[in-house]
Amino acid sequence: MTVNSFSFSRFVDVTLPKVVIAPTALACLVGFYGFIGWTAWLSFTNSHMLPHYEWAGFVQYVELFGNDRWWQAMWNLGVFGSLFILICLALGLFTAVLLDQKIRAEGALRTIYLYPMALSFIVTGTAWKWILNPGLGIEKLLHDWGFTGATFDWIINPHYAIYTVVIAGVWQSTGFVMALFLAGLRGIDDSIIKAAQIDGASLPVIYTRIIIPSLRPVFLSVFMILAHIAVKSFDLVMALTGGGPGFATDLPSIFMYQHGFTRGQLGLGAASAMMMLFTAAAVVMPFLYSELMRDRRG
Amino acid sequence: MADSYRQTTQAKLARMGIYAMLFLLALWFLAPLYVMLTTSFKSLDDIRSGNLLSLPQSFSLDAWKTAWDSACTGVECGGMKSYFGNSLKMMIPAVLISTLLGSLNGYVLSMWRFKGSDAFFMALLIGTFLPFQVVILPMAQVLGMLGLENSTGRLVLVHVIYGLQFTTLFFRNYYVTVPSDLVKAARIDGAGFFLFFFKILLPISIPTIMVCLIWQTTQIWNDFLFGVVFSSGDGQPITVALNNLVNTSTGVKQYNVDMAAAIIAALPTLLVYIVGGKFFVRGLTAGAVKG
Amino acid sequence: MGALSIRKVKKSYGDTHILKGIDLEIENGQFLILVGPSGCGKSTLLNMIAGLDDITSGEIYIADRLVNNLSPKDRDIAMVFQSYALYPNMTVRRNIAFGLEIRKVPKIEQDEIINRVAKTLQMEHLLDRKPAQLSGGQRQRVAMGRALARNPALFLFDEPLSNLDAKLRVEMRTEIKLLHQRLGTTIVYVTHDQIEAMTLGERIAVMKEGEVRQFGTPQQLYDLPSDLYVAGFIGSPSMNFIPCVLGEADGVGVVTLNNGKDQLISLGQISDIQRPFVGKPVILGIRPEQLTDPASAHSDHPNMQILTAMVTITEPTGPDTLVTVNINGVKTVARCHPRAAGVPGQSVQLSLDPTKALLFDPVSEKRLA
Repeated sequence: MTVNSFSFSRFVDVTLPKVVIAPTALACLVGFYGFIGWTAWLSFTNSHMLPHYEWAGFVQYVELFGNDRWWQAMWNLGVFGSLFILICLALGLFTAVLLDQKIRAEGALRTIYLYPMALSFIVTGTAWKWILNPGLGIEKLLHDWGFTGATFDWIINPHYAIYTVVIAGVWQSTGFVMALFLAGLRGIDDSIIKAAQIDGASLPVIYTRIIIPSLRPVFLSVFMILAHIAVKSFDLVMALTGGGPGFATDLPSIFMYQHGFTRGQLGLGAASAMMMLFTAAAVVMPFLYSELMRDRRG
Repeated sequence: MADSYRQTTQAKLARMGIYAMLFLLALWFLAPLYVMLTTSFKSLDDIRSGNLLSLPQSFSLDAWKTAWDSACTGVECGGMKSYFGNSLKMMIPAVLISTLLGSLNGYVLSMWRFKGSDAFFMALLIGTFLPFQVVILPMAQVLGMLGLENSTGRLVLVHVIYGLQFTTLFFRNYYVTVPSDLVKAARIDGAGFFLFFFKILLPISIPTIMVCLIWQTTQIWNDFLFGVVFSSGDGQPITVALNNLVNTSTGVKQYNVDMAAAIIAALPTLLVYIVGGKFFVRGLTAGAVKG
Repeated sequence: MGALSIRKVKKSYGDTHILKGIDLEIENGQFLILVGPSGCGKSTLLNMIAGLDDITSGEIYIADRLVNNLSPKDRDIAMVFQSYALYPNMTVRRNIAFGLEIRKVPKIEQDEIINRVAKTLQMEHLLDRKPAQLSGGQRQRVAMGRALARNPALFLFDEPLSNLDAKLRVEMRTEIKLLHQRLGTTIVYVTHDQIEAMTLGERIAVMKEGEVRQFGTPQQLYDLPSDLYVAGFIGSPSMNFIPCVLGEADGVGVVTLNNGKDQLISLGQISDIQRPFVGKPVILGIRPEQLTDPASAHSDHPNMQILTAMVTITEPTGPDTLVTVNINGVKTVARCHPRAAGVPGQSVQLSLDPTKALLFDPVSEKRLA
């Protein structure tokens, strides 16, 4: 009988997984949570060009909340975010339902609807900036078609410029939403639909009363993803309008970038970054919470 | 019953309506691409005399040539070519490293769970919802402290760190569907941690590797925020260069060059999407291994 | 000392006790079955033998060697899994060779082993296929081949047949038994199927809630189950449990069975353990085949008891018909010859073999022997 011996390979079994995961754990701990804390600390300091780490209380937040440009950016985010999410949801669902009708050439159509997703927001912004060009873009097209009095200058009109961001954003993201909804539709048990047909329900009734309500989880995750895109939206606006005219399409992300990196207002940039985090968290938390609950039940 | 219903004229009209709407939607999604392409082949005069939808009077590649090697992005006037190279040099290592690490993480988090590994996964998952703005200020400080001056090196590091949560998620979600008996069988056969991973798990992970490669390629190639914050001068990635090109206010605005440059910047990811798109969908839905 | 010895083995996660002290011992060449409902801890125990799960306390010896701290590959075991767990990216040949390669068996020897195993299991023609190209039964065969190739001290089977269809399961069962007889291997086999347990096992451990309820030969378990749980678990259709009150007449135990009218049934000589229960409620356990029509009964027994009961339902199985009657308020199943089964509503005579009747304490659920 051998003694209760220490085994090297069992030690390796226990230790190796932790060693493998360590770099990621470090990156996650420092890169996410450490840096959030760091940003939070910066937001409570008087940092300008260079970071200072003396506690200065809420000065940056006081300045931020007294800053008209910040409120303009938040308001723009509200307008852009809600329109962007609503239209993407509606158009994406509508397209998915249409595509779900045993359509010929579905594969080709899906490819066409989805390709904008592969593009950079910078490319999308560049393209739409040209299309919406007041002199040579859609306006000229309308003139050529005989609507000589037509004007379409939203991109340089402070009251309407934010809507051009919505248009470009919707164009880029709808296909993705469509794909998620389509996957959801395909996941629904056929026999439910057959049962409803036998009960005598018409197709519109089946969709509005049975199928779409059962897509609730898809709605939730699509909403989450779109909200996340909206909050961090940066490149699209930079390419399309640069935040202008004036601050008509300014967003918190642009505010944060300019104060934090080009205007030497580190503290204010950090404070605005923290506010962006809270905005994202306000949207994400309910979702994560419900996911967590579902996990626990499962 | 459904078949005979389909025969009625009303139903035929409804189907025509559906196809008409799908066609209109396709036009709406294709129109910008059409405009970009036609504009890039026009001369500036052609642009002024025609309109968005008109075809080029004469087919010209001048705008493409300018965009590639002589267009001005701010003070530099070397076109997009060097920035295209920058993006490639940054993207390839970043994609490969984040995919490899993600697969190892996913392997540990699904098959070698330990106390705290689920909590770690949760922490990583929350990271997917972070607006990156909240980490870029400290990251800039740290990169400065590390003395990492090379733009490409900086971007590779940043893209790996902030891509890991996605790659880990993809692999973890795939590996939890692999029967745990497979690991047990391998352990009894004597295969250790890495032998099982490289000899058995990786060969059956091709669909997920595809998903990861496609996702990371598009994310990293298309990124603008990290590019504009962490790179400088001639080390910038192509998205930053394109933005500089388009928003440079010196001289006559060359819309045809802008469009050609935009297409150049879009080409790699478009190609990845067209070639790999079906692997992406297939990989995302790839389920358990049978065996 | 034997092939496998499990001593006071416990497994707990915090306050949850999965295994509450297991003691089992088998000799070389024996076929041990761990059987029980899901969640009884049988698979956990198997995983602990394999080294895939840690042991909270206690000791496990394989071939007289303490293996508590040995990794699976050093325990000289092989395992066959419910899901077969074949490596999907490798051919059958590579699947079998994998474990040999890791153990650095020379290539020539590997080929010899693979050919021998393939021949034993008649799967030479499958060697170059991938698992995805195999049927369920073929995968099962390959999984067994992979285990056989290593020629270990101990084979572990984790519900290996539960993914097969009914017919194939019976075939593979026979094949496993033949292999065991021919090769003289020592096997620990986990199943939830009591028929599999009875047909395959030389030693059976019936487990429930982390404890071994009874450990013995199939016949011991069948004839003399230690408690109500084992009695009900082993055998199909399962044993009838009839509540009654134990009486005594001239040293012989008697119970009253009622189906419309009271009928006094004498059991055997009352034992010392049973005597304190006289005048108290007990549970009479009687298997369906020991309650049958008088013509089918082995009537050489002098004290065969006869009772009459009204048929409520009949279920023909072919060779026999299961007749349900109501005795002392509980449904009771008798196994009768089809021609003597009667029809619902009719009274039939049933003969009961008192030597096979068992008594259980309704409180402790233990058999009163």
